[in-house]
Amino acid sequence: MADPAVLRRHAIRLHETAPDRDSAIRICGEVLADVGAVSPAYTAAMLERERSISTYVGEGVAIPHGTLASKEDVHGDAIAVVRFPDGVDWDGQPVRVCVPIAARGDGHVALLSALAAILLDPEAARALRDAEDPDDVIRLLEPVGKETTT
Amino acid sequence: MSIQGNDVKKIIVACDAGMGSSVMLASQLRRQLAKQDVTVAHTPVNSIPADADVVVCHQGLADRARKSAPGKTIIPVQVFIGDPAVNRLIAAVKGGGAIDG
Repeated sequence: MADPAVLRRHAIRLHETAPDRDSAIRICGEVLADVGAVSPAYTAAMLERERSISTYVGEGVAIPHGTLASKEDVHGDAIAVVRFPDGVDWDGQPVRVCVPIAARGDGHVALLSALAAILLDPEAARALRDAEDPDDVIRLLEPVGKETTT
Repeated sequence: MSIQGNDVKKIIVACDAGMGSSVMLASQLRRQLAKQDVTVAHTPVNSIPADADVVVCHQGLADRARKSAPGKTIIPVQVFIGDPAVNRLIAAVKGGGAIDG
């Protein structure tokens, strides 16, 4: 199972809309703050990081997160899944799903590993972009295989 | 800097915070190199360990990586999943051959 403490059900928002990238990142920051993973100040660090290097990772997915300095605004390892069915223009790339990350340790590694596997599988990536049910998202992100974290 | 694929024992995937794309790429490399005698870890770009043989990072961080880890083979990537530079690295570690970076 996906670690319920890292991906909480109410951190899965499947019907959001945003006019642009920065608005989408602000929503992502609010969701992480709502589940108690970060302080509101974390959003500014997510925006700063995105302006220096895009977190677009392909297949209509971006993984916004803060900078090294912003780890003090992180209370615990967490990810969220925020879907924008109408898409968001992400520096020319159409983003449908954001997976915002807050991490102090390695609690989120298994879920990100599962996400990497999804991005390499076009069918799974489409299922994630089209997900209408939080249970589908949780099932898709079940960690694959066993990882050693170093 | 160049290194032979057979000499690679430790690959570091570096990013600014060490919490996002580097984690995903490291997990992917670990899976694809599971049968090789190679350690893959992810770290922030300013704390690359001294025993790293190869450093993979986003091209926007390559200059910081070169300063942080002088003399290491640095492989800049543009996309974190399916980048040709990463595929070449995997092929060289598995089958031998030079890695330039």
